[in-house]
Amino acid sequence: MRFWRVIEPYIGFLLQGFALTIAACLLAIAGAVLLGALTASMRSSGNKLVRGIANAYGDVFRNVPFLVQLFFFFYGLPELGIYIGAFETGVIAMSIAGGAFVSDVILSGILTIDAGVIDAAKVSGLSRVKIFTRIVLPIAMRVSVRPMGSVLINLVLTSSILSTITVNELTGAAKIVAATTFKPFEVYAVLLVLYASLTTLLSFAISAIHHRLNRFMTGG
Amino acid sequence: MIVAENVEKRFGETLVLKRVNLRVEPGEVVTILGASGSGKSTLIRCINGLETLSGGKITVDGHDVSTKAGLVAARRASATVFQLFNLYPHMTALRNITLAPIEVLKLPKAEAEARARALLDKVGLAAHADAYPQQLSGGQRQRVGICRALAMQPRYLLLDEVTSALDPEMTGDVLRILAELAADGTTMVFVTHEIEFARHISSRIVFLEQGELIVDLPTAQFFAEDGGLAVPRIRQFLSKMKKD
Repeated sequence: MRFWRVIEPYIGFLLQGFALTIAACLLAIAGAVLLGALTASMRSSGNKLVRGIANAYGDVFRNVPFLVQLFFFFYGLPELGIYIGAFETGVIAMSIAGGAFVSDVILSGILTIDAGVIDAAKVSGLSRVKIFTRIVLPIAMRVSVRPMGSVLINLVLTSSILSTITVNELTGAAKIVAATTFKPFEVYAVLLVLYASLTTLLSFAISAIHHRLNRFMTGG
Repeated sequence: MIVAENVEKRFGETLVLKRVNLRVEPGEVVTILGASGSGKSTLIRCINGLETLSGGKITVDGHDVSTKAGLVAARRASATVFQLFNLYPHMTALRNITLAPIEVLKLPKAEAEARARALLDKVGLAAHADAYPQQLSGGQRQRVGICRALAMQPRYLLLDEVTSALDPEMTGDVLRILAELAADGTTMVFVTHEIEFARHISSRIVFLEQGELIVDLPTAQFFAEDGGLAVPRIRQFLSKMKKD
């Protein structure tokens, strides 16, 4: 089969790129969710300054193209005397950009919470931190997890842009193979399958988490 | 002792509580009566610190609720049961009850759960420990709410229209539990529209009218012709409630 003859010599190289993509995505998803939860908590804070800082972060990073953000970190950090690898820079940039969107989704989940539930937690003497981690965040998550899924899938797709800063993740590896073989169609057909399987897997995982978090809503 | 002195609460332009004075001694059951919007719930929410005072002072066992440390201590001394239950929807009945004892009182998990199960058993919900609030009826939810409050071993139980969202049969279940608590000597501040029940369990009744506490009498005197009933507004209020 002609298709396989073209791809076969490079499949190992492409899978290496795929592994790098998966690693970057897993790290960035963790970073984005943590940063998003933290930012959402700050945006729902009573303190004006805290709220202002969190809102400014969200506004800036939602409203600037990811490519520009990425170049800003890639070329800007060394200017500040910070030297980290391209892969690390990419993961950090993805976490920061993803966190801005995740915070939106979690915040909208927080805003759906019945104020009375928070009142009950307050009068029981729970600290603010405990109220957020044990009551607010878990309830917000059950509403937020599905829309967060779209954000995270978008983040996976965005990871292809890391190829522009010398990271040979899946797209970067494919560019090299396509340039070597002059067979871009075959190479990008492989990419299509690999990206689609990754995002499909992620979306199954999100569904599973959604059902797990909302199990107590059934049978009522 | 809970002491409210000249308590004022303002929402925007509206004065909801006007120089309210109230004392609740340990062992007392004090019922707060009054029409909707008279400030009853607001008074409860001032005592447990959910509303900040616009004027005056509230202390619980000497702890001033308007200070940060005072509020922490005051909330340790009291527990609140809410009209709309306000259970944590993502936790089972058992977890609803054990959360604060574990996190705030630092009880070991096993002990907190044993006590929670004993409380659930007492209110007839032993079989529902692992049910989520959504799976329980209103009356069952409120009984969990009462267990959650009692699990903190409060010296004062604040009850904010706890039966208003329940049908008569469920109301009966909840009131039976409250009567038992009163008989056990639990100190309660009880906001309610259940007049006959209030008459039965209260040591004192106070009446709020448009944010003013106009009458504060021992229960027998409150319902006496030459006591509370001598106040035209109270006579009118009680006769209307009886019709319903």
